[in-house]
Amino acid sequence: MNVIFDAGPLITACKFKVQGKPIIDYLSDKCRIMIAESVEEEVAILGARYADGIVAGKRIVKGEIQVSPLNGYQWQQIMANYALGKGEKDSMELCGQTDSGILITDDYLAFIVAVRLGLKTRMMPDLIVDFAEMNKLTVEVAASIIKAIQPRYQVGVIEHNLTRLREMK
Amino acid sequence: MVKVIVSVKEEIIKAAERRKAKGLDEEISQFLAELIDLGFEHRLLQLYKRFESGEISLEFFAMEMGLNIRGLYAILEEFGLPTSNIKAQISV
Repeated sequence: MNVIFDAGPLITACKFKVQGKPIIDYLSDKCRIMIAESVEEEVAILGARYADGIVAGKRIVKGEIQVSPLNGYQWQQIMANYALGKGEKDSMELCGQTDSGILITDDYLAFIVAVRLGLKTRMMPDLIVDFAEMNKLTVEVAASIIKAIQPRYQVGVIEHNLTRLREMK
Repeated sequence: MVKVIVSVKEEIIKAAERRKAKGLDEEISQFLAELIDLGFEHRLLQLYKRFESGEISLEFFAMEMGLNIRGLYAILEEFGLPTSNIKAQISV
């Protein structure tokens, strides 16, 4: 399972912890986490003085987060019409170049554009619940993760995921 | 605090001078510094509305503010604003 993280969810996954462990560590052994070079720059290089930037940097060095160069740009013209950042555009391009890639973004515009491009797209809380559905995470751990990242999301998003988890019990 | 030299509209300087002449206990530089802070906040809230409506992305928002995403997160958290604009509000 190839999962391409945009900068926002990557920062969230490296910042918030459950049982003393960054959330990224609950995910990296369950899927192949890939990021574009511009996302690495934003999160781990420009962010090297922040705790979550260090978490990301260490996982990149260990190969738990794979930084993947792009093989060109197929949607440059389309994306030029949207007010998106480089990391968001590159993440979509990378997803388009990756077999069975799933883009993880928590940004509305990036989400809409990605869906319109035909990319499989999920918000990070949905990925957590998907892993619980696949028995890759226990329902309890998944619920703890959703609660930990709660400050980043709108109430309905969190409740949606907690309801899905309750239905699994 | 960093000191910079900037061009300011004459009417703003006159307004600052009038405030001082009326006995308001503040330096002109302090008044101008407050205006810059307010301008920054105004710009942030203006862009936040565009971000909230989905017109611009988070990264574009950060770029327009001259910040990186993490810097923007810190400011949005300070203002108590959600950093994800995908809405699914609960109807009450």
